Amino acid sequence: MENLKYGDVDREILRPLTRPGRVYWLWVFLFFLGMLLGLSAWTYQILTGMGSAGYHPSVMWVTYIVNFVFWIGIAHSGTLISAILYLFRAKWRTAISRASEAMTIFAVIIASTFVLVHLGRTWIFYWTIPYPNQRTLWVDFQSPLIFDFLAVSTYFTVSLIFWYTGLVPDLAVVRDRARGIRRKIYGFFSLGWTGTHRQWHHYGSSYLLLAALATPLVVSVHSVVSWDFALSIIPGYHSTIFPPYFVAGAILSGLAMVSTLLIPLRKIFRYENIITIRTLERIAQTTILMSLIVGYAYIIEFFIGWYSGNTVEKQTFLFRAFGHYDVMFWVMCFCNAIAPLFFFVKKIRTTPITLFIIAILINIGMWTERYVIIVGSMAQDFIPYQWGFHRPNWVEISILIGSFCLFLFLFFLFAKFLPSISIAEVKEEVGHPMRHKGGRDGE
Amino acid sequence: MASDRGVLGVFAYVDDLLNGLRRLKERNFEIRTVFSPLRLRDIQEILGTKPSIVRLITLIGGILGGTCLVGLAVYAHLSFKLITGGKPILPAVPWVIVLFEGTVLLAAIFSVIAWIIKGGLPRVRYQSGQSAGYDPRFSGDRFGILVSCTDGERDQIIKILQEAGAEEVRDVAG
Repeated sequence: MENLKYGDVDREILRPLTRPGRVYWLWVFLFFLGMLLGLSAWTYQILTGMGSAGYHPSVMWVTYIVNFVFWIGIAHSGTLISAILYLFRAKWRTAISRASEAMTIFAVIIASTFVLVHLGRTWIFYWTIPYPNQRTLWVDFQSPLIFDFLAVSTYFTVSLIFWYTGLVPDLAVVRDRARGIRRKIYGFFSLGWTGTHRQWHHYGSSYLLLAALATPLVVSVHSVVSWDFALSIIPGYHSTIFPPYFVAGAILSGLAMVSTLLIPLRKIFRYENIITIRTLERIAQTTILMSLIVGYAYIIEFFIGWYSGNTVEKQTFLFRAFGHYDVMFWVMCFCNAIAPLFFFVKKIRTTPITLFIIAILINIGMWTERYVIIVGSMAQDFIPYQWGFHRPNWVEISILIGSFCLFLFLFFLFAKFLPSISIAEVKEEVGHPMRHKGGRDGE
Repeated sequence: MASDRGVLGVFAYVDDLLNGLRRLKERNFEIRTVFSPLRLRDIQEILGTKPSIVRLITLIGGILGGTCLVGLAVYAHLSFKLITGGKPILPAVPWVIVLFEGTVLLAAIFSVIAWIIKGGLPRVRYQSGQSAGYDPRFSGDRFGILVSCTDGERDQIIKILQEAGAEEVRDVAG
């Protein structure tokens, strides 16, 4: 942000909020069509039954669970960047925290949608909520599925609160520059913020506390999701390594998605002065760390399988590497554990196009990882009689495409109608206007 | 003596703003509010603001949330005793997760409600930014000090603000 001046911050960040062009609406329309495709496939599935989703015992639910875990993973880096890096006072987060938080919220919404999609009778989804039915039968609070409900709903609520709290001062900025109905809408959501010292005081305390509250959530949510698998006794699932393994994987996929979205955003909206190469480099460096942890987990999983002495466990991991899904396994290893290591080369991690390509590879790798873990273990269980393989059919693929289109649709709307970079934080970052240089805050 | 009348000083520079604030504080004028487009901790220090009560309210929310959710889980398990695998009806370990989620959830909700209310929000009247002394430039690149005054104090306050470097000083009613 060296080239950015204090007085230019509002204009630079609010520039994309002007009247959008045809190309923008064309993309929005295409994403809308993709959403319709997914919605149509889901409607078809509801009308014809879950058999249309390619269910094949013993492989059940399949891509819907894969998608759920994938999208929850994507949701991770938002809170990591906005909350954890805020507590560590990592300044490079400033330019990307808002967009990452928005990404978190959209990803959790989509992940929650897959909970509904994988239900046979979607219209009674509320049975998953902990409340007693007419026979006073309560849900079991020891079940990882209830943990999951509590964790995901808490994560969504806290992420939404954190995001909105950060937005309020910026909405007031937009309000003061808007006219007509836009002024009223932004005015309503800015709550009448006027930036008084009293408001900043309480706001600052709350923001810090929300960051502190959100931080353990980053670790807890994917740990809880991993327990959906680890608390079962299926070979390949039942492992104590799952929580840290899933959390690291989730952060890796989230960082990759942040890069995937922000590199085009930076180019389209000409944010080069705010989302600098240095910021992208920091994301790449964090990606290397996460990739090394994930790579280590891949190796240790095999070691645990071998060291356990359990025949079924050993067979599961051999099946993963050399069985029916071997291609996906090696794609997963390359994309998640090898491709990010190219970021050790400075030229690669500071060039947006190479960053973008590797980010896309990681996205593919992380989806594949979930598929390999979830489907691989279900396909070859304890009993050979039950073995069965799965390939996603058109219904599942359409719903998957629909979910990506919904994600991009929401993100496009967000980038156009809300400040996608925190104005107040960028102003702090570029430095206050001082008459006498050298002092800070008038000292 | 407190008054509905006030004088507003608009500043372009933070050091001028803080300088003006210090002088007004030294002479015990009643500083009604300070407008800023970003958070400046020095303002709180000069005004001697106490630690925010939001912290306490967040703590209360956390305790309440954790207690209530564990309470719900205990009630549910006692109402419907689902005994599986010889596990106790009221298990300790799963309660940790229930406690954690309940604590974080309600603490966050209490925290956001607390800062909104303590910040004097939401203000329906001011949703278009029409607040006493508020100038739309205060969300952009200008800072402001609003000082309550009586007729006798007005000239002194204007002088202090101008000497401190205010680029604009004007009377504010209400």
